Amino acid sequence: MPSSVPRMPTQKPRSRPTYRFGHIYLENWRNFTQVDVSLQRRVFLVGPNAAGKSNFLDVFRFLHDLAAVGGGFQQAVRDRNGVSRLRSLAARRYPDIVVRVSVTSNGSNEVEWEYELRFTQDNRQRPMIRRERVVKGGRELLVRPLPDDERDPERLTQTYLEQVNTNRDFREVSEVFASVRYLHLVPQLVRDPERSVGRRNDPYGGDFLEQVASIQEKTQRARFRRIVEALRVAVPQLSELDLYRDARGAPHLRGKYEHWRAMGAWQTEDQFSDGTLRLLGLLWASLDGSGPLLLEEPELSLHPEVVRFFPQLMARVQRRYGRQFIVSTHSTDILRDDGIGLDEVLVLTPGAEGTVVRPASTFIEIKDLLNGGSTLADVLIPKTRPRNAEQLSLFGET
Amino acid sequence: MATRPTPHFSGVVEGIVDEAVVRRLLDHVGAGVGDIHVKNGKPQIVTSLPGFIAAAKYSPWLVVVDLDGDAPCAPAFLRTLPAAVPGLLLRVAVREIEAWILGDRERIAEFLGISIGHIPRDPDSIADPKETLVALARRSRRKDIREDIVPRIGSGRRVGPAYGSRVIEFVRDTADGWRPDRAAGDSVSLARCLAALRAIHRRAVK
Repeated sequence: MPSSVPRMPTQKPRSRPTYRFGHIYLENWRNFTQVDVSLQRRVFLVGPNAAGKSNFLDVFRFLHDLAAVGGGFQQAVRDRNGVSRLRSLAARRYPDIVVRVSVTSNGSNEVEWEYELRFTQDNRQRPMIRRERVVKGGRELLVRPLPDDERDPERLTQTYLEQVNTNRDFREVSEVFASVRYLHLVPQLVRDPERSVGRRNDPYGGDFLEQVASIQEKTQRARFRRIVEALRVAVPQLSELDLYRDARGAPHLRGKYEHWRAMGAWQTEDQFSDGTLRLLGLLWASLDGSGPLLLEEPELSLHPEVVRFFPQLMARVQRRYGRQFIVSTHSTDILRDDGIGLDEVLVLTPGAEGTVVRPASTFIEIKDLLNGGSTLADVLIPKTRPRNAEQLSLFGET
Repeated sequence: MATRPTPHFSGVVEGIVDEAVVRRLLDHVGAGVGDIHVKNGKPQIVTSLPGFIAAAKYSPWLVVVDLDGDAPCAPAFLRTLPAAVPGLLLRVAVREIEAWILGDRERIAEFLGISIGHIPRDPDSIADPKETLVALARRSRRKDIREDIVPRIGSGRRVGPAYGSRVIEFVRDTADGWRPDRAAGDSVSLARCLAALRAIHRRAVK
């Protein structure tokens, strides 16, 4: 029945404290000249196409890349084609790029950590740190450049965060950043992993099956059971999921469908629909880890009545596992959920001075409109609609 | 005696919680459940009502709307709407569908983790049943209930982030959750809805 809520598993929450991003401050990051907003347990990013929703998500991916094994500052900037590509086009001259986040404990709801990185490039176009600052509970633990950095500027090509011998006092921050996950599963890549051979933790799903296969079998089976239960909301015929390896050792998913034959028929992932694979990916990622999860348009390929329950699914996973969801969306079905806090929605509005980001709660008319019976979707769609959308219908006339 | 297939009711409701209630009620009286149209609030239902009335010549329809503050009582509100026809049952929840849910005092108290003494006795007389349900959840002994149902300070909303899914969970749970007959004992508007539903279903089966 499409009306039922995908139920998430019952499992004891981890005893380890969980963290989320509580605030973000940016200067000159891609198409944002300045951003200064609080972040709640769920964050919904809305805005017209090309407003910068993915660029906003990319800040958190950048922090992940700083802290991840095999990552680091130089690599993270290089992967984004250098400082001049990262720097906002609206920025005049060559100002610094600034990324500052606070990390909040889910338990106490207090800011535990602040991390700031300010950087530019030198005349050889190498990314150079101008300032790196770590604050714990309001007390500064680190402010670079240090005297050593002044003596040997080469040191400013690496953050203290990325080095195990310098991040000892704030390794927790590094772990939170490294725990960020991004998912934008492309069903075609899951079905045809050869296209992305060798990619690890591929957010587009190229090694999705490998990732599933790498989990301990017992955990894997338990997760499959829960996922099937939730998936059946959208795909009622599905009765079982498992993983097997073919003769070449490549992992494959298969699902048992009860619909067609009395005994059920097994299908492998290359026969799964786009929607099934995307929902499967979303459910798997929700259960895999407890760090912030970045989702790009989770509504794609799915029935509106399934999508409608995503905000509540996220709320319940969040409560149970402490997992923060940061989600870009164009979906009215997501936005009509009346439990979405006005401070959970960030509205991106492009302008001459770069894109402006503000919480929906800051629009003064919004409460009156909601009280009058409008849904949040009714209120936000006009704000995020491209100015001349109707022009599109004229395409082909000239 | 050959039994004819049970006719499927189509439904029209204001939101996802209402949908769960209507499905449960149809199941409860033994009627089949057809398409349920989930609208965004009452105005959309009222404007589309002539269409539902016309469609009721093919199969039975159940339309449930909240009275809210639109009229002093359900009959007064019904007089403002197009006249219903035999195949279409238009029922008004006084004043919101949450009143029907609160009617099963024992189970809702159990579900929310509060003492039964806190649950009001005459649900149809509650001015704002949804707000009452949220206020009751605020007293819950269970943190998960409070976090799901009660809105966070600063959220600017009437309900918490998983209000709908929690209440639906209760309504759908036939073993330990909501009992429509028990709730109808306390809520007159639900009792009338159930009686009318049974009558129309009996006629349709005959």
